[in-house]
Amino acid sequence: MRKYIYIYKSELMSTFQYVINILFRLINFILFIFIFMNLWNYIYDNPNELINGYSKTQMIWYVIITEIIWGAIEGRKYCRKIVDDVRGGNIAYMINKPYSYIGYAVSGHLGETTIRIIISMVVGFTMGIIFLKSFPALTAPAVIIVFISGILAVLINLLLITFIGLISFIIEDSNPIFWLYSKMILVLGVLFPIEYFPGILAKIMRYSPIYVTCYGPAKLFVDFSYMSSAEILLSQIIYLGIAWGMCYLIYKKGVKKLNVTGG
Amino acid sequence: MSVISVKHLTKTFKIKEKKKGFSGSISAIFKPIYKEVKAVNDISFEVEEGEIIAFIGPNGAGKSTTIKMLTGILYPDSGEINVLGINPTRERKKLAYEIGTVFGQKEQLWMHLTAYDNFKFFGAIYDITEKETEKRIEELSKLFDLEKFINIPVRNLSLGQRIRCEIVASLIHKPKILFLDEPTIGLDPVVKESIRKLIKKMNKEYRTTIFLTSHDISDIEKLCKRVVIINDGKIVMDDSMSNLKYHYMDKKVIEVKLNTKVNFSNTKGINILKEKENRLRIEIDTKQTDLTTVLKLINPENIMDINISNIPLEEIIAQIYRKG
Repeated sequence: MRKYIYIYKSELMSTFQYVINILFRLINFILFIFIFMNLWNYIYDNPNELINGYSKTQMIWYVIITEIIWGAIEGRKYCRKIVDDVRGGNIAYMINKPYSYIGYAVSGHLGETTIRIIISMVVGFTMGIIFLKSFPALTAPAVIIVFISGILAVLINLLLITFIGLISFIIEDSNPIFWLYSKMILVLGVLFPIEYFPGILAKIMRYSPIYVTCYGPAKLFVDFSYMSSAEILLSQIIYLGIAWGMCYLIYKKGVKKLNVTGG
Repeated sequence: MSVISVKHLTKTFKIKEKKKGFSGSISAIFKPIYKEVKAVNDISFEVEEGEIIAFIGPNGAGKSTTIKMLTGILYPDSGEINVLGINPTRERKKLAYEIGTVFGQKEQLWMHLTAYDNFKFFGAIYDITEKETEKRIEELSKLFDLEKFINIPVRNLSLGQRIRCEIVASLIHKPKILFLDEPTIGLDPVVKESIRKLIKKMNKEYRTTIFLTSHDISDIEKLCKRVVIINDGKIVMDDSMSNLKYHYMDKKVIEVKLNTKVNFSNTKGINILKEKENRLRIEIDTKQTDLTTVLKLINPENIMDINISNIPLEEIIAQIYRKG
């Protein structure tokens, strides 16, 4: 584990050189939140009105949380990096090091995005508090649970993106698959909670990555209960295992057919 | 004691081929054609502990593929590999702790971190304690003379300094074998020389076995006692450096400036390499014609200037490549 903490730390140290770049990229995040604040302000006539069980304040906080989790991890950049590693043969030079490539990629990218996640949280919470003038009433244990659920969501997301990236072992370029995945997460996960979708679709979504990567932690943040937190955390742990297993299998298979010439 | 043992190693790559033009591109979608290329074809050799061995060959000969199989990066199609008693294919991770690799064309250091932070990172990934890593960094930075730039981000180092750091990073975990794939590529002659000295010093101090590939013949001449030449995936020569030179001792090169032209057309074993006005560069196969005969033919009184030398090692190796 120490080596992965070191990989995380080394990438984090490298990112300090680009704090200004990160701040510039936050403009997108601020615009996104601002647009959805106005949209929900427009949709909700009455601030106390409930749509599909959510008040206006809850809906805006929901979008802030999902956007922090999804937007800050920079999935497209991460997927492209893995695809490039596989296609460009870079992965070959990491294979003979005593670490797992999957662990290396995930911990490295976490290190790269930590500052962005922290800044997004600060900006998102500040915007929420300023414009909504409220903050969900969470007890200290609830805050810890939501935080853990958020971290699990980020980890599952990164593993699923790793898996998509590693599909490049089979189909040359898996970036288009990531594009489909990201649009699905954006439309069905980031913007609206599961309760907004019709019966069958909502049921399917409960078993999909959307439930564990977006909906779960955001739902706990806006409407916390120990019952739902147990359900969400359990699903996240199962998904984490599945996602890791998928990455492990495709990596193992891919490395065997690695085709790197040179020299 | 042999630290590397390779028996009947073979590796084939499947390469996609495409017919010419637009129709070729379309048909490649529905009916892809693959061509099999034997990158490594039934090679066998052994490397002794503490040896510095040159594994050379022209581009595409199979050098890097062999190194990649020896380090567990690629899986062989058939044959046996044993590196320090470990099978690289089955126990890649275990082997990683015992070997070091430097690929001259592929940096392994983190560009934004200082050399020192990079060494700490490598210490951590090889499970070395903080204290041990510090001790090792101190020792290696003295040996490789890194003190002046150890705290500078790698991206700001010169290529020579970076290569020194790359070698140190691969030595942090005290590997028993170091694979160097073109370590001096792109370096100026002075830096090349210093890298060679450091490699020699490291081999002497730690008895690290060195497996070197390089296109720079000086690297091989100055570092290695044994040369393995691979061409078209097959080993075409495996001999000591002194034997390699000895076998070609019967070939001499004469560069001469003459008063009047000499006709060599009826003399066997003479190959005119270059002729310009009264200057001549000839290669003599002394098995067919001895030097005295050639000098008599030229006539000493006709000579304005002369230089007799062995054929350069570079030329010897090029000839072996061509024969292979």
